[in-house]
Amino acid sequence: MNIVHKSIAALLLMTAVSSPAFAQQTVVKYMTFSAAPDYIEELDATIAAFEAAHPDIDVQYETAAFGDYFTKLQTVIAAGQAPDAFEVNYENFVAFADKGVLADLGPLISADTGFSTGIYNPTALAAFSEDGKQYGLVESFSNVVLFYNKDLFDKAGVAYPTADWTWKEELEAARKLTDTANGVWGDFAPIQFWEFYKTIAQNGGAMFNADKTEVTIDSPQNVETLQWMVDKVAKYHVTPTDVEMAGQGDGDLFKAGKIAMLRTGIWMFGDFSANASFNWDIALEPGNTNKAHHFFANGVAVSATSANQQAAYEWIKFLTSSKEAVDIRIKAGWELPAVSDAAYVQGYLDQPKPESREVVFQALDTAVTPPVIANWNQLTDIVGKELEAAKLGQKTPQQALTDAAAAVKGIL
Amino acid sequence: MEGVTGRGKYVALAVLLLPSLVGMGAFYILPIVSSLVLSFTKWDLLTPVQWIGVGNYVAALGDPAVQQALRNTLTFILGYLPAVVAGGLGLALLLNRKLKGRTVFRAIYFVPVVTSWVAVSLVWKWLLNPQYGLINYGLALIGIKGPGWLFDPNWAMAGVIMTTIWKDIGFVTVIYLAGLQEIPENLGEASSIDGATPWQRFWSITWPMLAPTTFFVTTISLISSFQVFDQVFVMTGGGPVGATTTMVQLIYKNAFSYGQMGYASAISWILFALIFAVTVAQNFLQKRLDKSDG
Amino acid sequence: MADRALRPGDYATWAVLGLGAVIMLLPFVWMVSTSLKTGDATFVMPPQLIPSAPTLANYSKIFAAVPMAQFLLNSVFVSVTSTVIMVLTCAMAGYAFARIKFPGREIIFYAYLATLMIPQQVTLVPLFVIMTWLDWGNTYQALILPSSFGAFGTFLLRQFYLRLPREVEEAAFMDGAGYVRIFFTIGLQLARPALATLAVFAFMASWNSFLWPLIITSDQSMMTLPVGLSFLNGRYTTDWNVLMAGAVIGTLPIIAVYVFAQKYIIQGLATTGLK
Repeated sequence: MNIVHKSIAALLLMTAVSSPAFAQQTVVKYMTFSAAPDYIEELDATIAAFEAAHPDIDVQYETAAFGDYFTKLQTVIAAGQAPDAFEVNYENFVAFADKGVLADLGPLISADTGFSTGIYNPTALAAFSEDGKQYGLVESFSNVVLFYNKDLFDKAGVAYPTADWTWKEELEAARKLTDTANGVWGDFAPIQFWEFYKTIAQNGGAMFNADKTEVTIDSPQNVETLQWMVDKVAKYHVTPTDVEMAGQGDGDLFKAGKIAMLRTGIWMFGDFSANASFNWDIALEPGNTNKAHHFFANGVAVSATSANQQAAYEWIKFLTSSKEAVDIRIKAGWELPAVSDAAYVQGYLDQPKPESREVVFQALDTAVTPPVIANWNQLTDIVGKELEAAKLGQKTPQQALTDAAAAVKGIL
Repeated sequence: MEGVTGRGKYVALAVLLLPSLVGMGAFYILPIVSSLVLSFTKWDLLTPVQWIGVGNYVAALGDPAVQQALRNTLTFILGYLPAVVAGGLGLALLLNRKLKGRTVFRAIYFVPVVTSWVAVSLVWKWLLNPQYGLINYGLALIGIKGPGWLFDPNWAMAGVIMTTIWKDIGFVTVIYLAGLQEIPENLGEASSIDGATPWQRFWSITWPMLAPTTFFVTTISLISSFQVFDQVFVMTGGGPVGATTTMVQLIYKNAFSYGQMGYASAISWILFALIFAVTVAQNFLQKRLDKSDG
Repeated sequence: MADRALRPGDYATWAVLGLGAVIMLLPFVWMVSTSLKTGDATFVMPPQLIPSAPTLANYSKIFAAVPMAQFLLNSVFVSVTSTVIMVLTCAMAGYAFARIKFPGREIIFYAYLATLMIPQQVTLVPLFVIMTWLDWGNTYQALILPSSFGAFGTFLLRQFYLRLPREVEEAAFMDGAGYVRIFFTIGLQLARPALATLAVFAFMASWNSFLWPLIITSDQSMMTLPVGLSFLNGRYTTDWNVLMAGAVIGTLPIIAVYVFAQKYIIQGLATTGLK
C-alpha cells in the first residue's frame, strides 16, 4: 500500500468515524395546511414527540393557508423543490397521484415489519390509494353536522332536532325560530359548491354518473334541491342574505346567538366550546329522501422525488397513527384521527361539549365523498359561480344548473 | 463626440450598457418570447409540454369567462376613466389658483397614491360593508338605503371603481398641475383683459394647451385599467358571480390555480393585443385632433 | 406671486378643496379608529369615530400572529435595492444610447421600447418558471431583480441626455477621459433631477408591487407588506378591527416617508418626461 492509498483509506475512515459525530441528521421537509393557523402548537408538540423517538430525523415544516396551499405545493414540486412529505386532501389527491408526483408507499409499508395498516379506518385509508397502490396515509377526517342553539329552541318552544327529521321538519322549526326583530335566523347553510353536492345527495341526486363520464348536475331532483336552498333565503327568509350577513361568518353569527341551526364542520367544536355562551349541541343533518353527510379526509404523502423517503415515511406514519399524535390531535380538536381502534378515540367522545359527540361517527354511515375530477379547481369555480347566480336571484335554479352542466361538460 | 473610438468605445459599452442588456434580456425579452411560445402549448407544470398550435387562442375567444372579463374591463373603463380625468383636472384647476394652503391640499390628495393597493382595498372593503360600513351609514343619514356594494353583482364594480378613483385622483391632479404650470401666465391674463369668462378662457386656451397632458394621463389610465388586479383580488376575489373578474385575474387563476400555463399565456397575449390596439387608436385620434386644431 | 386679496370665489374653492380633503383622509381616520376597537365595538351602530374603549389588542394580536416587522423589513430592503439598481442601470444605459454610436443601436433601443408595450402579466408565467428553475423561488433576488430593470427609465434618461448640451462633456473628452469616466464624474451629476424622478417611480412601483411577490414568495419570512396584508385578509376575513390594525402597520411607514419627502416626490412626478 503506497502513501496515496494509505491517505485515501485514512480519509475514508475518518469520514466514516466522524459522520455520526457531526450528527448528520436527516431533514424531512413537511408542508401542511391543516396546522395553520390554529394548530401550530399541536404540530410542534407532535414533531417534538417524533424527534424524541427518532433523534436522527429533523422535521422542518412549512405551512400555508388552505386557499394558497395547493398552488404553492404545485409550484414547489414543479420547481423540483418538493417537500419530502406533504399533506394532501382527498379532493386534490387524485390529480397529484395521476401526475406521478407521489411515492408508492407499498414497498415501505411491507418492509416495515411490526406495522399494519389495519390501524386505520379502512374506508378512509382506501381514499388515498389509486390503481391498487397506496400513495398516502390517511391523517384525519372531518365532517359536517347540524349544530343547534338549544337556548333559542327552548325560547321558541321548539323540540330539538332528531335523527329522523327531514327538510320539512327543519323548515317548520326554522320558521318558528326566526325572530327578525332580534336579528335571529332559524337556519343557515351556505349556498356554495360543497354544500350543494352534499345537499343534492340528501335528495337522491349527484353531480355525475357513477363512472364520471356524464354530467347530471341539472337533473330534476338537483334543481328541486337548489330551489329549496334558495327558498330558505328568498322565500321563507329563515336564512340571511349575503348583504344581511355583511361579510360576517356563519360561525360568528352562531356564536353571537343569531343563528339557531347551522350546518357546519366539526372543526368548529373548539371555537364554539370556548366562545359560545349558550347551550348547544349537534344532530344528524335532516335530508329529504336520503341522509347524507360530508366526508372530508386529509392524507399525507411522500414525494416521488424525495431523497429521504424512508425518513419521510417514518414521520407520516407517526403523524397519522402513533398514540402520541392521536392524543394530541384529539385533545385539541384538530380534526379526527382516522384510526380504527375505538380505544384511541374514546378520549374524543369523553369531551364535554357538545354532548352528542357520537353523532360525528353516526354521520359516517351516510358519508358522501367529494365528486372529484382532474380539473377540480375549475369544477368548483364553475359550479360555484352558477350557484351564486341562483343565490342572488340572477338566474333560476333550473337556468343556473343547466348552464353549470354545459360548462362542466367542457372540462370533463 | 467622436473622441473615443474602437476598443475604448466597446469597453464603455460593456460597462454602461451590458448590465441593462443582461437584465432586460433575462427579465423581459426572454420571458416575453417564452410566453409567446408557451401560449401555443398545453402545460400544467407537472407533466411534459404539449404543442397544440392556436388551440388556446381559439378556446379563449370562445370562453365565456374571457368575454365576461372583457365586459367587466369595459365597464370599469367607462366608470373610471372619465371620472378620474375630469376629477383630477378639476382639482388641478382649483389648486392652480394661488390660494393659501394649496400645497397642503395637494399633499393630502396625493396620500392615497403612495399607499399600497392592498391596504387601500382592505380599508374600502370595510367602508363599503353594507351593514356596518361608513358609506352606507352616511347614505342612511341622508335618507338613502345603500346597496349591498361588493356583495351585489350590480354594485360590486361600482365599489371597485370608486375605490380606484379615490386612489388615483391625486396622481392625475399632480400631472395636470404640472401641465398647467407649463402654460405661460400672460396667455391667461391677455384674454382676461379681453373680457372672456373663465369658462371661455378654459376651453379656448387651457384645454388645448393641456392636450399633451390629457393624452399622457388617459393613456396611462387606460393601460392600467386593462391591468386591474390588486384591488379586485383583495376586495371581491372577482365576484360576486364574476362581476368584477378582470383579465389579469383570469391569467392568475388559469396559471396558478388551474395549472394551465399555456392557456394563461395565451390570455395574456390577447390582453396585450387589446392594449396595443387601444393605444394605437388613441394615438391616431390624437394626431387627427392635433391636425384639425392646427 | 404674493398672496392677493381674497375674493368670494376663493371661499367656494376652499370649500370644495376642503370637502375633497375630508374624502381623501376619512378612510385613513376610519382605518385607525377601527384598529383601536374591540370586536364588539366594531359592529356597533351608529359607528363610533372615536372608540369609547380604545385598545391596542388588535396590534398585539397581529404581531403575535405574523412577523409584521419582517414583512416591513423585506419591503424596505426589496424596494430600496431594486430602486438603486434600476436608477443606476437605466442611467448608464440611457447615457450609452444617447452618446455612443454602435452598430445595432437603433434595433436594441426599439426592442427596449417594445417591452414597454407589453403588460407585465405576459411575463408572469415564464418569469415564474425561470425563477423556479434557477431555484430562486422565495428568495430576495427573485423579488428584487425583475423590478430592477426597465425600458421606461432607460428611455427617460436617454431623452434627458439627448437634450443635454454636450459642451461640458466635450471638455472632458479633450482631457482624454473615456465615456465611463465622464458618465460617472459628470453624467450622473447632471442627471440628478431625472434620476430623482425615476427613483420615485421605481420605489413606489416596487413598494406597492403585489402580484409578483404574491406568486414568488412561499413563506412568511420572505413576504413583503402587501402580500403579508393579503395573507391577513385571508385569515381574519371578518375581524375588521384586526385587519385595520394590519392596514395601519402597512400604511404608516410609507406615509411617514411621504410626509418628509412629499415635495420631492410630487415634483419628481410632475417633471416626468411629459414633453
